[in-house]
Amino acid sequence: MTSAASPSSGLWQPAAAMAAPFLAALAMAGVLLAVAGHNPFDVYGLLAVESFGNIKRITATLAAATPLILTGLAIAVAFRAGVFNVGIEGCVYVGGLTAAFVGFTATALPAAVLLPFSLAAGLVAGSLWMLIPGVLKARLGVDEVVTTLMFNFIAISLAAYLVNGPLLAPGSANSATPMVADTARLPRLAPPSTLNAGFLIAIALLVLYGLWGRHTALGLETRLAGLNARFAAAAGFNVPLLVIKMMLLSGAIGGLAGAVHALGNVGRFVTGFSPGYGFTGIAVALLGRNSAVGIFLAAVFFGALATAGATIQLFSDVPIEIVSVVQGMVMIFAVAQFGWPRLRRRFAS
Amino acid sequence: MIDHVLHAAVLMTTPVLLAALGGLVNRIAGLVNIGLDSMMLAGALVGLIVAAYTGSWMVALAAAAVAGGVLGLLMSLAITRLNANEIIVGLGFTIAVAGLVRFFLKSAYGSSGTLSLPDVAPLPRITIPVAADIPVVGAVLSGHDPLTWVAWLMVPLTAWFLARTRIGLRLRAAGGAPQAARALGLDPLALRDASTVFAGLMAGLGGAYLSIGVVGIFNEGITAGRGFIALAAFYFGNNGPWPTALCALLFGLFDALQIRLQGHGVPTEIVQTLPYVMVVVVLTAMAHAVRRRRAKGG
Repeated sequence: MTSAASPSSGLWQPAAAMAAPFLAALAMAGVLLAVAGHNPFDVYGLLAVESFGNIKRITATLAAATPLILTGLAIAVAFRAGVFNVGIEGCVYVGGLTAAFVGFTATALPAAVLLPFSLAAGLVAGSLWMLIPGVLKARLGVDEVVTTLMFNFIAISLAAYLVNGPLLAPGSANSATPMVADTARLPRLAPPSTLNAGFLIAIALLVLYGLWGRHTALGLETRLAGLNARFAAAAGFNVPLLVIKMMLLSGAIGGLAGAVHALGNVGRFVTGFSPGYGFTGIAVALLGRNSAVGIFLAAVFFGALATAGATIQLFSDVPIEIVSVVQGMVMIFAVAQFGWPRLRRRFAS
Repeated sequence: MIDHVLHAAVLMTTPVLLAALGGLVNRIAGLVNIGLDSMMLAGALVGLIVAAYTGSWMVALAAAAVAGGVLGLLMSLAITRLNANEIIVGLGFTIAVAGLVRFFLKSAYGSSGTLSLPDVAPLPRITIPVAADIPVVGAVLSGHDPLTWVAWLMVPLTAWFLARTRIGLRLRAAGGAPQAARALGLDPLALRDASTVFAGLMAGLGGAYLSIGVVGIFNEGITAGRGFIALAAFYFGNNGPWPTALCALLFGLFDALQIRLQGHGVPTEIVQTLPYVMVVVVLTAMAHAVRRRRAKGG
């Protein structure tokens, strides 16, 4: 049963495990489309063409997938340690706001320093945002699902306050910070597409994650602690410390996702900054079964849905909301059909 | 000014209180309902549409409750029969239902996010003869709709139901000791399903309260996360109906104050974080107390 969640099992099994919830969700959404008077096959055909039809569409899809790779990775890191972190949405907000703040205030810094510094600021902010839930979980056993969920709402409201007040761009009517300096922007890989260097960062982290899980002591410890915390404790691992470390790492990647979105796509921080990247990340991690390749594929799927959904709305009268429906159903089917043994056990008592 | 705030506080408490009591019973039967907000959203939309087409607020409330209950049943079946994780399914419902609602609004009404219908039957207001003239008491007690009274009546009723009735005891067994419950010939999964349907009914009513009781139109952001505030309330109330109700009232007061304080230099966004901060603080304090008790006991 656990083999499905292991990145080392053959290629076929994870592929089937990934495809099944996705196909089930597409089937359900297809029924919905048919009821609303659209031909689901036409819609899906158009979706496929609009997301993978040519180089331009593919780069758009990869650009949309970039934040999702990072949030999916952030959640997978925590899942692996048996920590159910649903607070990455908050980290995206905190990290994005911090990175944007550095990007438009520390403009005196030389170009070679400003961008890395802004990215690092977002990363650290996201990491620190998970410090309290991590410590509470590790030291007092406070349910991290509730605390991280609450922290999301706190982060979103705090960011809304800052961007409406102290950090509001002068003369701006809508809630947005000033634009970051050009030197703080992530360079674009294939202009005019918004695909930027953030994609390379995400891929590099995915590769590191794949190696880390298999070839490092911390990766092994994390996996064992996630599989069986009691055994790991008996084997002499400091499980509480491990939980804190993984929460900080998870938050750091989430914060980086926000920083990449701010410095790569938006160029500043605005209200409604993230269209639920932190929550889609949960679907990405689940669908990708925690493996590096799986996370990449799942992020590309959701990126394709998001980018194609926006364009088909222009060419047909299919509402883009069909994308949210598919996404929510993928989450439900991903856990319903196969039931993650590890996470299920955690909540069984 | 005080009268206005108190009246608004009671008003804003009702939807949270309804959903929180449902979520509380659900949690006691062993299921943490993250999807309450989606059930409120469905109830708000169905309630408004039915209120406009039938002209009857009672039929509208019933329809909203059914909509919430059906969502509750689907969610519960995924969790109890397909062994799906309750947190993921709850979040999945939140995302899918929000998408469904907007898809439906665009497909059926061609509107993006907002629905305003003519002839919506609003909830009636009950004026209490003598109390209405007393300053503070009148604001708290008089001029409310039947659903608010039902919500507050449900508090002692839920407490009594859980503590004193046979089925209440069974629900608690299904949540606290499912194996023992099974050994006694009960079906913990069916009990859990029933409790989730109840939570859906209550959340659906809470949602309809927002659309036909307060504003009279539907908006995709109408719940404003109140399903999650309800979650905060029953976590905060530690499964007790009265503490949960008091907490819902406190959140209602925050809500009312926040509307009042707009434009008075107090940032409303900061006030909005208070319920969530309070939950984290209370959970921490409770965990700390448990740890100390354990340490003392050796």
